[in-house]
Parts: sequence; C-alpha cells; structure tokens
Amino acid sequence: MIKQLKIFFIVIVSISYLSAEEVIYRYESIAENLSHPWAIAVIDDNNILFTELSGSLRIIEEGILNPQPITGVPEVLFAGQGGLSGLILDPNFASNSMLYISFSSPDKGKKTNTLEVVSAKLVSGSLAEVKTIFKASPSRKTAAHYGARMAFLDDGTLLITSGDGFNYREKAQYLDNHFGKIIRINTDGSIPDDNPFLSDKNAKPEIWSYGHRNLQGIAVVNGVVFENEHGPMGGDELNIVLPSKNYGWPAITYGKDYSGATISPFTEKEGMEQPIKYWVPSIAPSGMAFYQGTLFPDWNNSLFISALVPGDVRRLELSGSKIINEEILFSDLGRIRDIATSPDGSLILATDGPNGKLVRVINK
Amino acid sequence: MIKNLFYLTLTILIATCLVIFQETMSNMTWLISVDMPVTFAVFLGSYFGNLVLMNGGGAVPMVALIAIGMLAAFLIAKILLIWVNLSKPLAYGLAGAAALLAIVLLMPLAFYNLDVLAGGRSIIGKIILTLYGFLSGYFFGITLEKRGHNDQTT
Repeated sequence: MIKQLKIFFIVIVSISYLSAEEVIYRYESIAENLSHPWAIAVIDDNNILFTELSGSLRIIEEGILNPQPITGVPEVLFAGQGGLSGLILDPNFASNSMLYISFSSPDKGKKTNTLEVVSAKLVSGSLAEVKTIFKASPSRKTAAHYGARMAFLDDGTLLITSGDGFNYREKAQYLDNHFGKIIRINTDGSIPDDNPFLSDKNAKPEIWSYGHRNLQGIAVVNGVVFENEHGPMGGDELNIVLPSKNYGWPAITYGKDYSGATISPFTEKEGMEQPIKYWVPSIAPSGMAFYQGTLFPDWNNSLFISALVPGDVRRLELSGSKIINEEILFSDLGRIRDIATSPDGSLILATDGPNGKLVRVINK
Repeated sequence: MIKNLFYLTLTILIATCLVIFQETMSNMTWLISVDMPVTFAVFLGSYFGNLVLMNGGGAVPMVALIAIGMLAAFLIAKILLIWVNLSKPLAYGLAGAAALLAIVLLMPLAFYNLDVLAGGRSIIGKIILTLYGFLSGYFFGITLEKRGHNDQTT
C-alpha cells in the first residue's frame, strides 16, 4: 500500500513538474518611487522618456533616472484619470528631437477641461517650441476617459485616441464632437486631406473612426491599426481600426454599466464593427506594444497588452489579423499602465499608482 | 411598528423600481433614437435584468443606497413634523424627493463628477428621479395618515 502511494506521489509530482511552464524572463528595476507613470517612449536601450500623470515628463539617461523632470511641460489637470498622459516620439526623433504629449488641459476660468496634444522639441532637458496641435471639442466637466494614447501611421500622420468622457458616452455615436473617437492629424496640427469625414459638413474633420469608449492602447503593426479600449463592467475590446468605421459604443457593447444597468442589450448591429477580441470580466487594458525582438524569439509577432485588473500583461499571438492564443504574463507586478519594447528586445513595463516603477523584462 | 416597517420597506422597493425604470427608459430611449431595434420585449427584458443586476451586480446595491437616503430623509421629516404643520403625505413626499435628489447630486461628488446613474445625467432625468422620490414618499405618508386615522376611529 505504501509503495503504491509512493508511486502515485512520484507520478503526480512528475506531471506537475512537466506541466509547469518554464519562466524565461526576469525583471530589472529601472526607476522606482514614480508618481503614476503613464506612458513610455523608448529613445534607445538606455534612454527612455516617460510621463507621470501628476504632470512630470521624466527621462532615464544612460540607464539612470534624472531626478529633475523635464521643464517646459504645459500645465495639466491632475484629477481623477486626468493628467500628463500620452507620449510619443516623432518617427524622425533622432534627427529632429520632436515629441508629442497628450494631457488633460484645464480651461482657464472655467470648471471644464479637455484633451490636448502638443508637439515640442526636446532640447537639453527642456521642452522648446511647444505648440498645441489638437484640442478636443467640446470640453468636459468630468476627469475621466480621455483615451490620450497616440500612434503614427506609416504615412507620418498622427493618430490620437479620444475617450468618451464617461458622462458623454452617447456622443461617441455622433460626428460633431471628439468624444469616443480616433483622431488623425498631421504633426503640425493640420488635417490630412484624405481624412474620411472631410466632406461631411456636420462632422469634425479630424475624426478617423468613432463609437469608441476609453481607448488606452494603440499600435500600428504592418500598417494595421490595433486599438484596445476599456469597456464598462466587462466588454473590454481589442479592435482593428479602419477609417470611417463605427465601433458601436454605446449602442452595442458586451459590458454592463457600473451600476449594473444594461447600457445596451445589443452586441452587434449592421454597420457597426465587432472587436476581434473582448474580455468579460474586464481586464482594464492599458498600453499596447508589438514585439519583434530577438531576446524572446517565442514572443515574436505578438501583441502585448498591459492590463490593470487584476494586473498583468496579455500576450496575444497573431496570425494575420486573428488572435490564435492568449498568454497571461507578469501577473506578479500589480496594475500595469503601459508597455513598450526596447531595441535590444527587452520589454519595458510601467506599474500603476502613486508609487509606480519602470521595470525591464529581460531573459534569464 | 411592524406595519410601519412593512410600508417603509414597500416604499423603498417602489422607489427602487421607479429609479431603475428611469435608468432603463433613459438608455432604451436613446437606443431607439439611433435606430436600435428596441421592442417591448427587449425593454421588459432589460428592465427586469436591471432590477436584478442593479441590486446585486453593480458597484453599490441600488436598494441599499435608496434605503439609506430615504431613512435619513424620513427621520428628518418625522422630527420636523413635530413643529411644522404639514400633511404627512406632503412632508414625506418632499423628504422622498430630497432623498433621491441628494443621491443623484451627491454621487458624482464621490466619483470625480461621474454620473454613475445614467438616468440622472440630464436635468430632465434629475427632475424625473426627484418626482419618483416624491411619489414614493407621498405613498408612505398616505399609509401613515391612513393608519393614524384608523387608530383614532377604532
């Protein structure tokens, strides 16, 4: 009997050992004690810019965090989900030092605010030539659902995600405002002459797609635009975004309102796009990055989505524009606000909160 | 005492049903405006679904929120009625209205100006919810008055 039990025990342990996945990575802390790190922009392996929601633009120079924030950053409204948010380097940053930052901008003398994007030149620890290139209209009373992520299309135009402002969700279905939209502009703030709604006099000309909620991740992969957005309670979405398309919010959704109420009992309608993936319950998807590095060959051609709830990163294996597998990674770091790739193949993660940190994921 | 408790509970349930009705109406009306196929069956399904989920599947059970608001407002009304000469239905009606208005106005303050009750985002929505609070409180006042009258006649 004892012998049989021993054999049984050995078999169970062996099965457990064989089925356990080998961890192929480890973490390396880059910066700690950060105030709500929100967006990462990698200049090169040792030089990284990032925003703190509380209003600072910070830089890691030669692997060391500069204690002094970059000066010349515009005033931001740091409240709720608002603050200094998105950050992206110009495709020609190496030669022109231009970057773009998005933030919640307080309206002077009013209790309203809006999503604003500025272009600026990074010159020796300071922003110069700061110029507003986009300001969402109309303004909002709420400090939530800004979107505020950015990505460049291959033609050099800039995509900006603009959230629905929470209280204004229905406006995502109308083209006369910037709530719940993806915006496309040139880097000087002008409007590309092939934007899809230019001929519609009732539409804002910057609109590229609509019917979005709170879009916190966007990446352009081989010309295909992937975007992830927070659903309400459930119904977080990953979409492939095409110009002029309606992504349905809040007329169709897989989620419920925070009160438990049905926002819409419909999940599909002709003329409204379906997500390529949705999550119920919510994972609160935040940043997005596409991996094509050499450090983790198994992760090549994967889409990485950082998530706030319960806090992990989703690695989505792509086959064309279809997801064929989802793997949960880095679930021991807590809420993850953003993810980026470094030229050396490592991944950079920003953990959320008032005591956030930047972590590099390298191989073991 | 037991009857009072029964009618108080009934009042809170009525108010909860009315608030959830407004929430459902608000969402469905907008969906109709964008040509979504909202039928009577869809409306009913959503309403009954909301009755369950808004009391057991949301951030805060609606019935608990309304109970807290109404209990506080009714207690104040009861005290004020010692000095103020007002009919009970009117006094409790006003208390019910104040309770729901307070819920609608105070909730956003706790959530960065976010209106968690979508049916109370617009001014009309706020008026309707306040009216529902008044009707619920008025009902409670009537039950109190009736039983007071019955006690005197027996």
